[in-house]
Amino acid sequence: MIGRVVEVAETGRHLAKDRGFLTVAANGAEIGRVPLDDVVAVIASGYGLTYSNALIAALAERGAPVVLCGSNHLPAAFLLPVAGHHTQAGRLADQAAAPKPLKKRLWAQLVRAKIAGQAETLRAVGASHTGFQLLQRKVRSGDPENVEAQAARRYWPLLFGPDFRRNRDMDGVNALLNYAYTVLRAGTARAIMAAGLHPSLGLAHRQRGNAFQLADDLMEPFRPMADLLVADLVNDGAETVDRTTKPDLARILTLDMSTTDGMTPVGTCLERAAVSLAQCYAGTARELDLARRVPPLLA
Amino acid sequence: MWLYVMFDLPVGTKRERKAATDFRNFLLDEGFEMAQFSVYLRFVESKEAAETRIQRIRGSLPASGKVHIVTLTDKQYANARIFTGRKRERGRGNPNQLALF
Repeated sequence: MIGRVVEVAETGRHLAKDRGFLTVAANGAEIGRVPLDDVVAVIASGYGLTYSNALIAALAERGAPVVLCGSNHLPAAFLLPVAGHHTQAGRLADQAAAPKPLKKRLWAQLVRAKIAGQAETLRAVGASHTGFQLLQRKVRSGDPENVEAQAARRYWPLLFGPDFRRNRDMDGVNALLNYAYTVLRAGTARAIMAAGLHPSLGLAHRQRGNAFQLADDLMEPFRPMADLLVADLVNDGAETVDRTTKPDLARILTLDMSTTDGMTPVGTCLERAAVSLAQCYAGTARELDLARRVPPLLA
Repeated sequence: MWLYVMFDLPVGTKRERKAATDFRNFLLDEGFEMAQFSVYLRFVESKEAAETRIQRIRGSLPASGKVHIVTLTDKQYANARIFTGRKRERGRGNPNQLALF
């Protein structure tokens, strides 16, 4: 899944479909076009945008999510296809019937992978990463001690300095993280739909208002990759989400992860993870395919 | 890499014109852009992706006429010189990961 993320951030743009293209117009004149087959996600964050129905339907056919964002770069809604996979009905049934112990086991795998990823990210930026292995071992089925939060409490100060607070509504590094996560979440939602699963039936994220619980679950182990990307940008002097940093942040899905299976882009790893999740639900696999990173890393 | 599709299709009869238009529209649906009349091009991510596109074109060829498909590497494409009138035009380069509008 190497493709292009289309973001529409300026006011008054009109998005439409022309044969095999997504076209963008400003004041009635076309200013750009992108082949529909190449689009992995459309992120709409500008004011006064308009869309044609034919375009939305064409994107849905190709499984490309349309993300409607607020001004803080957090997604307010996703548009995803009704049918994403040829055996979707069967896989949805497996997913809905998944017993609680299975979900708890899978969640523990995700948390362990996330903590391992955090350690790798810290190692990559040259920060201390002691104790993370121990935390990883402490994660039990369902993570009842919330080791995930304990790891996060250590992780953020080590990565961005002791004064850093992760807050979804703040500017600066937080906004950079929001943006990278938004792209990552869109890619995860797409991978989930492509695997015939439904993103609303989560493992551990259980807020009733969150329609993308499963996407939020499954993307956890990949967040440290986004964090590493942001840390690199911050090192290079990036401060705000703008025209120069956005293209870098959108690279998250194509970033090569050096894994135990060789170099693979994050987008492909997400697809594998989603397919292995479907297999776990169906009972044909026990372990998620989570593409563990191996040091040394390429950022 | 880049795929160039060049074609000469007969347009003598109504049926031939229809076939030629259908082929042209097929290329547009596949995400090919017109570089010149009868010359269409598209960026593809990899050799495999190029092969897929070529196979799809093969499956949609009109009954008569000549079609050339050429693949260029990014470097070769970047070296292309494009003139409009006597003015040199800058090549477009590969598409960015993020299309920002």
